[in-house]
Amino acid sequence: MPSQEPEIKNHIRRLRFEHGEMTQDQLAKRAGVTRHTIMALEAGKYFPSLLLAFRIARVFRAPVDQVFEYHATESNL
Amino acid sequence: MSKSEKWAWWTLGVVVMTIAAYTVFLAFRGHGPAIISVFVLLALTALPASSRRHLQGRTFDERERAIANKALRAGFSAFWLAFVGLIPAIGFTKGWNSTLTLPVWTLGEVVWWAAILVLGVQALTTIVLYRGGSHA
Repeated sequence: MPSQEPEIKNHIRRLRFEHGEMTQDQLAKRAGVTRHTIMALEAGKYFPSLLLAFRIARVFRAPVDQVFEYHATESNL
Repeated sequence: MSKSEKWAWWTLGVVVMTIAAYTVFLAFRGHGPAIISVFVLLALTALPASSRRHLQGRTFDERERAIANKALRAGFSAFWLAFVGLIPAIGFTKGWNSTLTLPVWTLGEVVWWAAILVLGVQALTTIVLYRGGSHA
């Protein structure tokens, strides 16, 4: 049975390393969340709110769609 | 481990310890005194720093808040189901027009078990959501 959940991927880990090997803790503090939430995001275990997505994108000075990617499947178009 | 998870493990420990203490007191002192003796133990759930984070000006981030809300909802849903299940059970076993004469300790015990149920389910749900990863 195909998954009904939308597939949202992110490039937070890559972007952290491209930004001077920023630690999860540093990103968490700048985005206003806990390090555990950053860990969950990177592991794909949590989908952020739109507000948090924008906050994280702002930390990396990148548009949201360069940080988060939506993969539509036939079941969740 | 996040502070919320630590709170959940602590609370689960307090719940288990309280039930164990209740069982011991029940054997030696009977229902009423046993309930009075162990009720105060539930106050230990306020000991972890995460229980007082609102007072200290620290707040949950959005994922922690979502998990906390789900856990609280699960706790009260369990209580609601138990309550809804208990009333028909009494009605069917005793008869819907029967009168119940209950000892005073029953009131304390019902409140105590309700608190145990809500706290236990809330703590367990918190642990499961953090362990399993929540898409909350």
